[in-house]
This record gives sequence, C-alpha cells and structure tokens, in this order.
Amino acid sequence: MVKSSLVRQALLLATLAFVPGLVQAIYFGDKFSWRSPVPASEMVTVTQARAWGENATWVDARPDNEFARDHVPGALPLNEDRWSELLPQFLAAWSPEKKVVIYCSSEGCNASREVAQRLRKEAQLPNVFVLEGGWEEWLKTSR
Amino acid sequence: MKTHIFSFTLSIVLCVTARAGLKWDQTSIELHPTATDKQAIGHFKYQNTGDKPVKFRSVRTSCGCTAAQTQKEEVPAGEKGEVTATFNIGERTGTQVKTVTVETDDPANVTTVLTLKAVIPQQLEITPTFVFWGQGEEPKPKTIVVRAAKDFPVKHLKVTSSSPDFQTKVEETGKGQFKIDIQPQETNRQTASTLTIQPEDSQKIFYATARITNAPAIQ
Amino acid sequence: MVSEMNQPALNSQLSTIPQFVWRVVDVIVGRIFIYAGAIKVLDPVQFATDIDNYKILPWTIGVGLAFYLPWLEIFCGLALILRRLYLGGLSILTALVAVFLAATIAAKIRGLDITCGCFGHASQNWNFPAHLALDLAILGALLALSFRVVSGNRLQNAV
Repeated sequence: MVKSSLVRQALLLATLAFVPGLVQAIYFGDKFSWRSPVPASEMVTVTQARAWGENATWVDARPDNEFARDHVPGALPLNEDRWSELLPQFLAAWSPEKKVVIYCSSEGCNASREVAQRLRKEAQLPNVFVLEGGWEEWLKTSR
Repeated sequence: MKTHIFSFTLSIVLCVTARAGLKWDQTSIELHPTATDKQAIGHFKYQNTGDKPVKFRSVRTSCGCTAAQTQKEEVPAGEKGEVTATFNIGERTGTQVKTVTVETDDPANVTTVLTLKAVIPQQLEITPTFVFWGQGEEPKPKTIVVRAAKDFPVKHLKVTSSSPDFQTKVEETGKGQFKIDIQPQETNRQTASTLTIQPEDSQKIFYATARITNAPAIQ
Repeated sequence: MVSEMNQPALNSQLSTIPQFVWRVVDVIVGRIFIYAGAIKVLDPVQFATDIDNYKILPWTIGVGLAFYLPWLEIFCGLALILRRLYLGGLSILTALVAVFLAATIAAKIRGLDITCGCFGHASQNWNFPAHLALDLAILGALLALSFRVVSGNRLQNAV
C-alpha cells in the first residue's frame, strides 16, 4: 500500500518539477544554448559569416604564434595576452555597421568567447559573434 | 531502510574497485595572484598508491595560455610526483578557470581533470573602454565611468589624451569612483585618441579609446 | 497515507519523540532543500557553468540538470513542509542525498575533489569535511523521518 503510493507521489513530484524547469529553460532561451556554453544568438556559422562578406570584421583570438602561422585573410589579432596593445588597432579598424566575428582554434577553445565577452562588456560593441567550430571549421570549408 | 542498504552496498563496491593507481592530493586549486604577477602556478601532487607503475598518456590544457608538465612519464608504485600547471595571466582579469586533462594507462582512473582557478585582482573597472561618434554627429560629451576595487583605494586619477582633437575632464563622483567626460572638438573627420588613465601613486596604466568613425553611429 | 492520529506507545524509541519534534525536523530539512534549490533557480546558467567547469558531464546534460534539479529540490522540500505528497518527496530527497554522498565519497577515495556541493556557488569556499558532515546530517534526518513513516505503517497494519 505504502509502496505504490510512494511511487505514485514520487512520480508526480518528478513530473511537476519538470514544468517550471521547462518554462525557465524557455524563458532563458536566448541566454544559453543547449549545444555549447555560448548563447545561440551570439554564435555564427562559417557559412553565415562568409555571407556577410565585407560587412564582417574577423578577429583571431589565438596566441600570437598561431596567428603568425596562418589566419583568416584580413583577420586582426586580438588576444588576452596582449589585450591593451592589440585593442587600439582593432578599434581603429572597426566601424558601427560591421559585424565582428571572433574565432579561436576549435569548438572547444574558450579564447574566442572570452574576447567576445570583453568586447561586449568593456568596449560595449554591438554585433559581436563567436565563430562556431573556430579555425578548424574555417579550414574545412575553405578547402 | 532500503536506502541504508543501498548506500552501504554501494560504498563497499566502490571501496573494492577503487584500489588502484594515482591518488591526487587535490584536483582543484584556487590561486590568488597579485596584480603584478605574470603567471599563476598550480602544483597538483599525486602518489601512486597501486601496486603497478602508472604511465602518463597525455596531458592537455584547455587553452594555449596554460602549460602543464608532468615531472616523469612513468610513476613507479608508491612514488610521488606532481603535475605543474602554469597559467600565463597576460592581461586577463577576474576569475579565470583553466583545466588540465590528464590521461594515464591506469584502468581505474583513465582520465582526470585538474582545475586551476585564478582570481586575478582588477584594480580599476573602466566602463566603457571605447567611445565613438559617427562623422557628422553632434560632438556631445560622452562619459566613461571608472570604479576602483575595494582593496585598491584611488584618491586621484590622471587622464591624458594622445590627440588634441579630444578634450577630457575628470570628476570624482564618490569614494573610489570617477567619471571622465570626453568631447571631440569636431566630428567632420575621422580621428582617434588613446586615453591614458593612471591612478595616483600607481605604476600601472590603463587605457580607453575615443574615435570618430566613418559612418553614423548606431548606438 | 499514514494517519497522524495513530501513535500508540510501543518498543520503538521513535514513537516516544513528540509529534512536534518530527514536524520541526520536516520543516528544517524542507527549508534546507528549498534554499538549496532557490539559490540555483536564480541563476541556472551559472549552475550549468559550474557543472561544466569540471568537464565530467557533457554540456547538454549539465544544462538539463541545471534547470531540473533545483525545482525538484524545491518541490520536494515543500512536500515535506506541507505534508502533501510527503512520501514521494521524502523518498526522492533521500535518494538524491544518498546518491550524491556515495558519489562524493567515491570521488574522494579515488582522489578527486568535487567541491561543487548542493549549495551551488555559495558553498564554493567550504571544505570537504564540512560538506560531508552537513550531507550526512541531512541524510540522517531523512532516514529517521523515513523510518518513522515505515514503523508508523507497520503499526497501522498490525492493528
């Protein structure tokens, strides 16, 4: 008797808790992504970014030696190792109608997200995006 | 009652299987570097408590800013060692979490994630670090707010503009709080200025940028 | 459902403890879980990030847990206090704490150090023994409450 009511009650509670959790997940919808720790509205695919053409300003968030080896044509380096040195030259090239596309080595690296965060928060720039898949993805689609 | 038996059995099973390999003193280290430190180093100590030697297969860090080294490739049974994680702070601020993923040939514990958390003190918070006007836009003054951290008292702020095209005015708005009003002479041509912000009695210099851009500002 | 009217004095030590003490335990434990859940409900994305920082669970599962678990804790805590769906709430909370404790002890034995406890960001600076002590105390209280329910039922069935 007790056992069946216990199971019934537990299932009821487990189901009830689902509802506000789901509502909250929807409410927070644009502040996070199910796929990765960056909100969907702040990410862009290589295809989308390429389609922006001249309207995109590319930013390479990788360490200096990786940038020197190879980078997206026209991309500017901006990393946290030399932030105050590299930021002014990036800001000089930036203009309000451009979309900023930041990349680091792959989907798993954090540098592009951190640079994006700083540009949004400190420099208060609009239209700042993180490239999905990073440099790896760019290489795949450019060959 | 049932949960009693459940937990008890589970812990016995776990005790039996957890007989092997590397045992870590800590897998999570929090560091508090000073404002002038260039690196934060975490020492993850381990000991091989098993009866067989353990070999490191790989040591990967979560970013290029962190380097990790094991002292030895193979750890004999009973021996101690450490994985040293060196995080290059660069110009990062705030709380930084970097991980080191260690893979060994120990079947009970193939992958271990070591977490290095560095709380980097931020002397000044400058918001925003960039102000701009579009060409032709009315040259109204814009404001940059500067807040000093609680443990870095700032009595006076010195602000200089690298270009005479912009004028700056500093005003103290509260304890450790300042506002910098910056105004361009005109907005007819594209020009830029680097603002040098230096707290009195401090060697450290902070920067902000002001610019006249080539298109009407959409702010 | 257990009737609160039936409390005949038997060998069981538990039945000599007055009714209101059990209610106090219900309320204290219930409030602990509501507090723990509420802290995490306020910033689920932060909770998901905390889980992700240990790189043990895939991000998607971490996010799912981050949105679901806090509400489960709140509802079960309420169940304890309001005495509605009491058995269900009690069993879920007991299972949650037991599994969490077992996982924490296992991790410690294997040399891992999981400090992201049930109180989310607020408990970041606690050490392992403090965490363990609190969790054991909570488990103890939950087991005592469970035992009381079970023995109460046996009395009912015996009568």
